[in-house]
Amino acid sequence: MRQLLRMWKLFAGMDLLWVLRGPRDAAMYVLSDAVLIVASISTTFLLAVRFDGIGHWDRAQILFMLGYAMFVNSLLDTLFGYNVKMISRRIGRGQLDHMLVQPQPLWRMFLTEGFTPFGQPFGLIISIAMLSWTSSLLDRPFSVVWLGILLLNLFASAAIVLALQVAWGAIAFWAPRSAEEINSATNRVVGSLGPLPLDGVNRFLLGGLLTVIPVGFTAWLPARSIADVSPLFPGGLVAPLAAPLFAAAAYFVFRKGLQHYARVGSQRYSNFGHRR
Amino acid sequence: MSSAQARVHAFGKTVGMSAAAAIGESRLMLLDAGLRIVRVLVLLAIWQTLVQPGEVVSGFTLAGLLTYTLIAEIFAQQLLTKSELDSWLWEGVIASRLLYPMTLVGQLVAQLLGSWLFGFVAVSLPILVVAPLVGVDISPDSWQAGLWFVPSLVLSIAIGLALDVILGAMTVALNLSIWLVDTLRGALLALLAGSVLPLAILPWGLGNVFGWLPFASMGSAPLRIYTGTGDPLPLMALQLGWALVLWLLAGYLWRATRERLVGYGG
Repeated sequence: MRQLLRMWKLFAGMDLLWVLRGPRDAAMYVLSDAVLIVASISTTFLLAVRFDGIGHWDRAQILFMLGYAMFVNSLLDTLFGYNVKMISRRIGRGQLDHMLVQPQPLWRMFLTEGFTPFGQPFGLIISIAMLSWTSSLLDRPFSVVWLGILLLNLFASAAIVLALQVAWGAIAFWAPRSAEEINSATNRVVGSLGPLPLDGVNRFLLGGLLTVIPVGFTAWLPARSIADVSPLFPGGLVAPLAAPLFAAAAYFVFRKGLQHYARVGSQRYSNFGHRR
Repeated sequence: MSSAQARVHAFGKTVGMSAAAAIGESRLMLLDAGLRIVRVLVLLAIWQTLVQPGEVVSGFTLAGLLTYTLIAEIFAQQLLTKSELDSWLWEGVIASRLLYPMTLVGQLVAQLLGSWLFGFVAVSLPILVVAPLVGVDISPDSWQAGLWFVPSLVLSIAIGLALDVILGAMTVALNLSIWLVDTLRGALLALLAGSVLPLAILPWGLGNVFGWLPFASMGSAPLRIYTGTGDPLPLMALQLGWALVLWLLAGYLWRATRERLVGYGG
């Protein structure tokens, strides 16, 4: 644990230096972060305001779900930046070698190398503020148990989204060039569908969105239960129970891919160091 | 071969190369296409949750909203035109591209046309097939609307390309990260272009303001014309105005910054 903390501190320091290369760079990071936060929730937010809710969700519940989705995405961006979350890029480009030569186990590199608390400074702060505010708007009493379930679900959702990224990103082990950007596609889906209420979606499609591409766990399913849109006992435990399963599946696929990589390596760089 | 024939030949070859590159290097990006189709199906479900058949919301019926959403996805690449200029700058390809016996804009247009073939086959055609199955009529509001849509879409593409050149020039002039510029551009367009949510639907009269911006001339204007929720002539006049202004600006900025081009390497 002490080693983990040391590495988080190290990578946080490097992230700060990166952001503070100059006032213009720092300003651009702050500006882009602010714009991205607004854009990421704008569709659902504007619909909820215009129609005073969406389907069974009232406006407060929708806002709560947006805060939930923002927190999940911001947490992952803060902990797994620099293409750790977008692992297909590193695998596809042969950059996994850069991690394998470090005097650290791979899991520790994954846990620490993407720590970027300064590169995206607003996401977590705003999402925590929004979650706190919208929790007070919900028509339900506050309790420590409820808060515990909320926190458990938030981390479970983040784990499921990360598992989604890793499992799909691992395809790049077998198809380095064509799957290099596959995590961009999955990330776009998480970003665009994650903050949407999926209640009206047909069952077949919904099944896919809770298993093959589990974006339904980003916010919709857990928030539905926590915000009492459809209190479903033990609805608040679905995401925490599903998270280990998705994590195990992602680990299995990634491990298989790594074994393949150990045999074939990467052919993406020429002798001159240019990417093919 | 005459000079004009040679130009057409070069243009055609560049389109072909771009199409082949998109297909050859993006086999697994068919998944991306599949995910786009999933996304549009979810959006359709949300509209069906929000608006009842027969109800009219800000000038849109449910059928109109569904058509708007599907047409926006079918023509997503054209409505939010984005060339590979930023990649060319980032990868240093721009250095060799400037030596090609074609204008830079000609190359960008050829590259776009080629890359659109993949998107058309992988996304637009499947949506066209799926549309009747999910109960959406994708025909235009009238045959006149369908006719007006074509030049409006061309103007939309012209505005998008001008924006591309302007952002490319600014990336060079200010030495910005192309990823940062691309992310900001995507975020702004998602909100302001009106290709995800019709601007008229937005609360607080935001649509009245956003409608005057060039982003709306890219996304919203052709879609409004297609669905019969906007008057074609004023919308296209605004599009034409933005196209002229932005291309003048793009030309000026590109000339002013091309001396500062640097090949970064990928």
